[in-house]
Amino acid sequence: MAIINQATKELQVKIVYYGPALGGKTTNLVQVHDHVQTAQGNKGKLVSLATSSDRTLFFDFLPIEAVAIKGFKTKFQLYTVPGQVIYNTTRQLVLRGVDGIVFVADSQYEKMEENVKSFSNLEENLKTLNISMTDIPCILQYNKRDLPNAAPLEYMEFLLNNRETQAPAFSASAHKCEGVFETLNMITRLLLHKFINESSRKAA
Amino acid sequence: MASLPQLIEEDVHELERASQELLVKCDAGAALIIDKGGFLITQCGEYREFDTTTIAALSAASFAATQSIASLVSEANFTSVYQQGDTFSLLVMDVDEFCLLTVIFKSHISVGAVKYFAATTIKQIARQLKKARRRDPGGGLDLSEMNLADPAPLFRKKSA
Repeated sequence: MAIINQATKELQVKIVYYGPALGGKTTNLVQVHDHVQTAQGNKGKLVSLATSSDRTLFFDFLPIEAVAIKGFKTKFQLYTVPGQVIYNTTRQLVLRGVDGIVFVADSQYEKMEENVKSFSNLEENLKTLNISMTDIPCILQYNKRDLPNAAPLEYMEFLLNNRETQAPAFSASAHKCEGVFETLNMITRLLLHKFINESSRKAA
Repeated sequence: MASLPQLIEEDVHELERASQELLVKCDAGAALIIDKGGFLITQCGEYREFDTTTIAALSAASFAATQSIASLVSEANFTSVYQQGDTFSLLVMDVDEFCLLTVIFKSHISVGAVKYFAATTIKQIARQLKKARRRDPGGGLDLSEMNLADPAPLFRKKSA
């Protein structure tokens, strides 16, 4: 959960990019790292714990400070998880202390089963941390929209976002940096709204 | 998952004082207090030469991974991870349910000495965090000062 340091008026928030293997989670972080406009020193190094073939082994990590928040140092820590099925224990470790989720789905038709399984896996892993999907801000990103075999958005919505409270969803082509910042800005906004609501509830 | 309590100036001051005392006693280079989710809470000593934000994230991950391995071999009494290097060594120690202490020290310093002095520091940190937890966690931080009505996005893409 987020760290609120009243002494330094600092808020630290953890966002995890989740989804099936080769769906574009690491690409999202690479694009944010390469293209974000920040003041000097507000962007950390992108750390990747990956295999020799560049597949995520443990996680990718990017610390980044938001620009337009009055009087507050708000630090976002972006993580990815390894998508491959065998790394479930690792995914559970990375989810520890999570504040917000970006689920990166692969739009290709043949990846739909993997998307659905990965989403169920996310729900199960959150349950082990006593977190319900309804308690935590979550965004869906339908990645790889530029591929010719991309499934229709309505179909993906039906498969992944068919519940009482729907998550905001964005189309993206992460390797072209399309939809990457829209997704990031929405999850950060949802998180800050959540903290403000919680703060005013406690104050009441 | 329960979280670390909100910290006020008194807490941060006490955590820094305890860490500083440890550095003096065992002649270590830097001490970082870290949340188990990977956030850096306080840092003391000669930390400017290190990327402490990343060290915090990796220390928490490394500790969690080693703890999971320990539980696979039915080892419940797992409290620290030690990495010996040529120039610097690193010791990550469990403080409580939410928090870790990472000490970076020159490799010629004995890890036994760091562990010995850190035992007191860990107790001091745990005591202060317990005190912070008992305090009203809602008071003092006015998040409404954040201007969320501002339609500008928090993160902007660099123009090409």
